[in-house]
Amino acid sequence: MIVLENVSKQFKLRGGGHKTILSNVSIKLPDKNLAILGPNGAGKSTTLRMISGVENVDSGRVIHQLDMSWPIGFRGSFHKMLTGVENVRFVARMYGRNTEYVVEYVKEFAELGSFFYEPIRTYSSGMMARLGFGTSMAIDFDCYLVDELMSVGDASFRQKSKKVFKQKLKKSRLIMVSHSMKDLKTFCDSGILLTNGTMTYFENIDDAISEYEKMVKKPKKQGNKHKQSK
Amino acid sequence: MKSSLAIHIRVIYALILREARVRHGRSRLGYTWAIMEPFLLIAFLTLIFSTYRQTSREDFVIFFATGVLSFQLFIRISQYVAGSFLANKSLLNYPRVKQIDTIIARFILDYLTHLLVMVLAFTFLVNVLRAQPPHNIGGCLLWTFVIASFALGAGLCLAEFRKLMPIIDTIYRIILGPAFFVSGIFYSLNDVPSQFKSLLVWNPLIHCVEGFRSAYFAGYRAPDISMEYVLVWTLVLLFIGMMAEGTIKRAVE
Repeated sequence: MIVLENVSKQFKLRGGGHKTILSNVSIKLPDKNLAILGPNGAGKSTTLRMISGVENVDSGRVIHQLDMSWPIGFRGSFHKMLTGVENVRFVARMYGRNTEYVVEYVKEFAELGSFFYEPIRTYSSGMMARLGFGTSMAIDFDCYLVDELMSVGDASFRQKSKKVFKQKLKKSRLIMVSHSMKDLKTFCDSGILLTNGTMTYFENIDDAISEYEKMVKKPKKQGNKHKQSK
Repeated sequence: MKSSLAIHIRVIYALILREARVRHGRSRLGYTWAIMEPFLLIAFLTLIFSTYRQTSREDFVIFFATGVLSFQLFIRISQYVAGSFLANKSLLNYPRVKQIDTIIARFILDYLTHLLVMVLAFTFLVNVLRAQPPHNIGGCLLWTFVIASFALGAGLCLAEFRKLMPIIDTIYRIILGPAFFVSGIFYSLNDVPSQFKSLLVWNPLIHCVEGFRSAYFAGYRAPDISMEYVLVWTLVLLFIGMMAEGTIKRAVE
């Protein structure tokens, strides 16, 4: 159970004024695989980051007892000067896992070849995402936070990722931001919809999606929409 | 979920190893350079200052080394700790990494590094240059810890307030220039004429430098030096820093 108590979050805009992400939201999110839906700029990624605890709320509290992953996505959590393998070792140590096991797992999974031993600053965004995804798969979390990830890599890598991820979800759960309704339907049971600073919970993912689609007044969107991460 | 103390320790451990690796990352010598650099600085400055001195060279070298090393201990830790947030910005994307962990990791790493530098420098001076060995090693260690804690307080405050005002960094560096001359590095507070003395005693760094010396040299006269004074500074800075940590939101863009 993840509980939000009177959570508010705003961003100051450079041109003046504020962008409200959440305005005094109190909600209990049950232990399900959750999709976060909302129009562009509604603050889906920010909400995910607030749930994980890496982004501060302006006021209120987010309470949970879960071991959460970092938000897995394009936005790298890696140190640019260190190599891939050094970054992976850092994460393994931080979570108290066997360093050698994690390194071997990621090496195998991320398919980076010799880039694994190169500094992160030489990576493409796809490579970074693969490294991030691989690392998070090597460490078991209670809850995975996924930000626009499933469109990483080529078809075979995506296939593999989905398979491994489904395996993980037997024991863990996830909260996911994605523009692919198909992925959301595959992985999520329920959804939350962000609109104008409010958060609405839908028990059934299909209801959440149809509500979302009504809102954006467009037919089903699919394919790889490159989301501009804030 | 595991106890939060265990998590902190684990994160700090991982951060220390990472920082040690990243530090001077562009230089091939890596960590070795971190140790060599202050060493060379001391050798260079000793050479310059000792040529203008009347007293015997050995005496001045060890006097000067105690000054520079204790002064550098403060400078280096405070500046290194001040950079904690900026350098670790991307790592704050891990829910487990808290800002305070990055501060503590840098503090531990730099304190240990500088202790190593001091041990190497004094071993060299005592064994090769036949300088006077430390009189009270425990007292010296205690003073290094007090100085390091003082630097931690200063570094924490700098790290917090530079989020609001990046210029504070530049101001700090400008202050540190004259600090070299008013912190008793190449003279003893006792030799200073009393009208200047009454001003200099307000400088906590002169207490650090002279305090360390009073532990190093047997019978060193330092009647105006007070460890309590440095500790008050330390506690006030740590308190301000911790309060700021709570109030200033992460000014990430």
